[in-house]
Amino acid sequence: MKNSTLIKGTAAIAVGAALLLGGGGTLAAWNDQATAAPGSIVSGDLKIGLNSAPGVWTDRAGTDITAKIKDGTYLVVPGDLLTFKQDLDVTLTGAKMAANITASGANAANGFVGDSVVVSAPVLTLGATDVVANPLTTSKKVTATITFQFKSGTTGRVDVNKTYNFNNVEFTLSQVLQAGA
Amino acid sequence: MRIKRRLQAAVLVAGAVVLGLLTVQGTYALWSAAASASPGTITSASFDTALTAVNTGQTTTMTLANGTPATLTLSPAGTLGPGTPVYGGVVVTNSTNAGGQFNTAMTASQPAIANVGGGTLAGYISVSAKTAASSAECSTTAGFASISTAGLVSPTVAKGGSTVFCFQISLNANAANASPSVEGKSVTISIQLTARQL
Repeated sequence: MKNSTLIKGTAAIAVGAALLLGGGGTLAAWNDQATAAPGSIVSGDLKIGLNSAPGVWTDRAGTDITAKIKDGTYLVVPGDLLTFKQDLDVTLTGAKMAANITASGANAANGFVGDSVVVSAPVLTLGATDVVANPLTTSKKVTATITFQFKSGTTGRVDVNKTYNFNNVEFTLSQVLQAGA
Repeated sequence: MRIKRRLQAAVLVAGAVVLGLLTVQGTYALWSAAASASPGTITSASFDTALTAVNTGQTTTMTLANGTPATLTLSPAGTLGPGTPVYGGVVVTNSTNAGGQFNTAMTASQPAIANVGGGTLAGYISVSAKTAASSAECSTTAGFASISTAGLVSPTVAKGGSTVFCFQISLNANAANASPSVEGKSVTISIQLTARQL
């Protein structure tokens, strides 16, 4: 009697499995597929660096004195007006790229006393004279200009043998959001 | 119940603050880049003027290391007498180390004459001066003139260049009438030299 029950149970399992296999047959019905190609997304670039041409110092007459400033043989006197120019390569790519460029020369070490010298903040121009209007949206060559003036009104022997170390002048390019970005 | 509501309100406010901060920080997360230039160091020049006495060769800088004006004794050659002037001079050199052009003009002031150890000799002394290109010209009599109140101004002295101030000290002819008070007497004659950048 027990064997009969066992056999019946086994048979029921076999029938059930067969039914499952039959159900699997519905996978064989028609199907189709298509592929879309959204393409690649490429990011833009934001970069600022010193131009390969080194910065240039000139005196009031426009004479290049860079080498003399570098080796310390050009010593300024009251009435001197020196100008430093450094070209910067600004790379801006991206459909909605926009960035502000700023300059800072606040970390100079000024050994001159009183107010005998006037050092301008860095002025950023496109070409010779056009002052940069932020934000920039395309790659450009920007020129940074700094002037050092030893006032001609300096009296006596004020500020002989003094130094002014510019240290590093920082240029920062910061992305800003364009409308609709 | 009241405490529970307060806690809920506090949690709500804290959540809003955190959300706000995250939103603000998001604007700083845009790209940025930096570069730096090193323009170098600017050094000022010295303003040194060298003085050399014509007769003795004694030298000094116009300004001493401690910042005070130097005194240079010129010691005129010869003995002063009526009709016998004596001469002295000083070579003034622009010895700045300026990098660019640095022109100067030197000025000799009117003399201040004072008796030494009594007497009246100072009242009979006259000093005239001239500028010259070389110290040899100081012993020639031509070209001397009294010094005006504005002083005697040299020609432009460029960086590394020199000029010479020559002085002629004469005894007034009237001194012969006051022999006892002028013979064997001494005076000091002080002339201030000034260097000015042009």
